[in-house]
Amino acid sequence: MSVRPPTLREKRRYILVRIEPAGTLLEQKELYYAILDATTTLWGDATAAIITPAVVALEHGHVIVRCRRGTERELSIALSTVTACRDLRICLRIIAASGTMESLRSRFRPKKLPKTKSVPGPDAVLQPEVPATGAGSGTEPVQQECTFAKKTFVVLQCNSQKVDVIEKGFKNTNRLFLTKDDLEDLNATTISDRI
Amino acid sequence: MKITDAAVYPYPLGDASVRRLALEAAALGFDSIVAADTPSGTYAGVEVRSGLMIRDLPVKDVISTVKRAKDFGRVISVNASNNNFNRAVIGIKGVHILRGIQLADKLAFDHVAAKMAADNRVAVDIDLSLIIHARSVVRQRAIHRYMDILVLEQRFEFPVTLSTHARSLLDLRNVRDIAGLCSLIGMDVPDVERALAGVGTILTPLQPSVQVIA
Repeated sequence: MSVRPPTLREKRRYILVRIEPAGTLLEQKELYYAILDATTTLWGDATAAIITPAVVALEHGHVIVRCRRGTERELSIALSTVTACRDLRICLRIIAASGTMESLRSRFRPKKLPKTKSVPGPDAVLQPEVPATGAGSGTEPVQQECTFAKKTFVVLQCNSQKVDVIEKGFKNTNRLFLTKDDLEDLNATTISDRI
Repeated sequence: MKITDAAVYPYPLGDASVRRLALEAAALGFDSIVAADTPSGTYAGVEVRSGLMIRDLPVKDVISTVKRAKDFGRVISVNASNNNFNRAVIGIKGVHILRGIQLADKLAFDHVAAKMAADNRVAVDIDLSLIIHARSVVRQRAIHRYMDILVLEQRFEFPVTLSTHARSLLDLRNVRDIAGLCSLIGMDVPDVERALAGVGTILTPLQPSVQVIA
């Protein structure tokens, strides 16, 4: 079967979505079913068939969802009703919509730094490579354990002020969303009554 | 105009601290949030208002609770029940928001209650968590009730507030998503903007249109 010429193909739009909480591991197929379920329950089969949502890429914690041109509004409303994938609680934050995937990819791909050529001298000592840290990379060197409400938690994710923790052990595996200020306050001997 | 989420539940009621909720709310385009059982303050440029949610109490206890709480500048809201209860609660000075109208019976909020709400400047809350989380019949009923309330709102012009009832970061939605969800119940963008500013409206004292100088 020959491929249709571009003028006869149906026009599509792509929506870039960020998955929260950060670091959640999902499979493309499962996410597709979650989005399709949300679309169908909200708009019904007939409208879902017109929207034809499809997950076309899942990389770097972002998803690109495809839909028919003109149905972006309906799809974005349906995306805001996605609350779980498999048994994991997730939230999809819409970032942008575009006519090409490439322009959306440029929004979340890490930009390459320009290479600077430096020739080491004869006395130079080779240093081991240190992984990039800081707000831009999404990871910071933090304490691996912290105390909160008299319980010990393990730090899962730390990005600038935001700290995600999970209780140590295997009984309660709910994620808590805190800030660095919370941990400083709670590790202090007295808890202030202000925010 | 302050864009406000009229109900969030920080730790220990939810799984996020009030600071983290404020941080996230700022990123999602909110200027303030009403947090249950939390002291007021400002964090990351977001004003956190202390909220008191009263539920499952008889009118007499609601009056005494409101009397005790209204001097602390808290946003006081009461869960709706039957029609008589709602009318009585709307008449109490100090009550700001009537919540959970979608879960009350069909005749719980009629035109008389709507007129009273407009006169006493008591807002009716639209809980978006049902539209986000519920499916099938529950969501359909909620959408129908909200559409019914908005018919009364257009006639009597009582204040409306919007809330996500977020117990987690994952339950918060940005302002654009909220506008999209509200379009399901027939609210256009100016309506949504007015509703998001609803908490500010009910907390601002009314200024008389005519001022007597001498």
